[in-house]
Amino acid sequence: MTGEMRNQARRKDGAVGAERAAGRISYRGRGAGLRMAGSAALFAACLFLATACGQEEKVVNGSVQNLPAEEGSGEETGAAGTVGRDDAGGSQAADGTGTSGGETAADSGKGYTFVYQGVTVEIDADAAPILDQLGEPVSYFEAASCAFDGLDKMYTYHGFELDTYPDGDKDYVSGVILKDDSVLTAEGIGIGDTREELEQAYPGEGAGAGQEENGMLVYEKDGMKLCFILQEDEIISIEYRSTVLGD
Amino acid sequence: MEHRKKMQNVIKAGGSALVVLVTLVFLQRLLVPKYVDDVVEGAFIAEYYEEEKDFDVIFIGDCEVYENFSPAVLWQEYGINSYIRGSAQQYIWQSYYLLEDTLRYEVPKVLVFNVLSLQYNESQREAYNRMTLEGMEWSLPKVKAILASMKPEEEFLDYVFPLLRYHSRWSELTGADVQYLFATKQVTHNGYYMRVDVKAAGDVPGVRVLGDYNFGENAWEYLDKMRRLCAGKGIQLVLVKAPSLYPYWYPEWEDQVEEYAAEHGLRYINFLELQEETGIDYDTDTYDGGLHMNLSGAEKLSRYLGRMLSEELGVPDRRGEEALTGRWDAKLAAYEAEKQAQYAYYDMEEP
Repeated sequence: MTGEMRNQARRKDGAVGAERAAGRISYRGRGAGLRMAGSAALFAACLFLATACGQEEKVVNGSVQNLPAEEGSGEETGAAGTVGRDDAGGSQAADGTGTSGGETAADSGKGYTFVYQGVTVEIDADAAPILDQLGEPVSYFEAASCAFDGLDKMYTYHGFELDTYPDGDKDYVSGVILKDDSVLTAEGIGIGDTREELEQAYPGEGAGAGQEENGMLVYEKDGMKLCFILQEDEIISIEYRSTVLGD
Repeated sequence: MEHRKKMQNVIKAGGSALVVLVTLVFLQRLLVPKYVDDVVEGAFIAEYYEEEKDFDVIFIGDCEVYENFSPAVLWQEYGINSYIRGSAQQYIWQSYYLLEDTLRYEVPKVLVFNVLSLQYNESQREAYNRMTLEGMEWSLPKVKAILASMKPEEEFLDYVFPLLRYHSRWSELTGADVQYLFATKQVTHNGYYMRVDVKAAGDVPGVRVLGDYNFGENAWEYLDKMRRLCAGKGIQLVLVKAPSLYPYWYPEWEDQVEEYAAEHGLRYINFLELQEETGIDYDTDTYDGGLHMNLSGAEKLSRYLGRMLSEELGVPDRRGEEALTGRWDAKLAAYEAEKQAQYAYYDMEEP
């Protein structure tokens, strides 16, 4: 099944369709009596073309401009490189430079990423290679969208949940939710840490600083959000979110 | 002679303008999504306008109304004439303006509103906006609904001229775009979206912690407006929460709705707490693991709700009205036909 609105969002130039339209319509203009009509139709098509070209690119229906995935690049830049406190057993990269050094499923270096046992999970990335590397989840749940083809899927692993959304034939990562303190963010923050530790790990200023939003402290980067919920200055929830799906 | 030439020019110009207009209308009709094959939810809102509008009960809300209540059962068992004005992720401001829109045609005795959408204080996705708003006929409520719903990146003109929004659908056009260029296909039964298949509820995801459990000001404002509009028109407003296991309905949300209903003397039915009374069995009455009811579940909920509407709210039994009964006979035939078609499609025996 194909979501009609969703698909249309992928083609943004409209030029090809408009040219076809112009061609079809002007074909009808034969003879002196019809030339005027043909010209008018051509004008309409041109108008249509103009509107097509004049539109700002917009994303509807959850279509995504997927981040380019460099499979297995192994080298990380930016804020990647989380290791689990218990699971990975390796060194932690609390400075945000990331030192997982392992195989990565998708790593464009954009946004805040989550790394589990060497597998980099990037928001809005193609989920398939990531899921392949993460292996069998502890549990799985799927929910049919009220309005779109495909399924929203939730994979639960030890310490975190990875959610995906469908777009076309693929699933993309919509979020990662840390469930307990066995896993950390790339910057070394986990559930149970304090506000002070959080602010030290994320010392951004201006736009890079955390913003209060619906009771959360939100760090936005490259079109994704890293959200912390605190209770009495202690972190009780950490969530990586796509902004494609809205809040 | 000169006058004649002028007239010819005027006729030519007028003719040209007409051709331009017809061409643009044709292109627009061709390119807008028809919502008849796969994503049918976008067609729900428009179907209401084809109805004889003298409904006693109107449902408004998101998928928790259009998948969970069957007007056919309300008619068959209680003679209640009802319609569901539901759409995918219908936000509460859209529900409110759909109520205003409905009141342009009729004043129902009861309005049933599902409260799940209180969780949203602003629109989340343009796609959901469009699936509700595009189906509305042009009117002041529609204009207000668009203005209340638009996300910052959206343009009002794109709703006025959908061609502007869908111009690039050329490469995705299907046979349905041509087949339903000027026609429509009925996809609901008085707004009810039927599914007969079964997928038992299993493990639902764990509860996600929220930063703020309070419903937003905007959501409250529209619930207030809805309540006041109903009161002003003599409509009994009934708040319901469908028995969906997911998305999770937080106790903090429940408390707020209960408090609001008590404060304003509204009836509130949380079907999550009425499993025994309704007979809902999450092994057999849901088609997607507990998110929505299937036909069996929707009919059970409708029997429970119908009894309440009939006995406690005095919604009349209109089975004695010849014309209305005639209309319902045709509707019930279509309902039964789809039911059988789906049982055949899913290779199921009718329970």
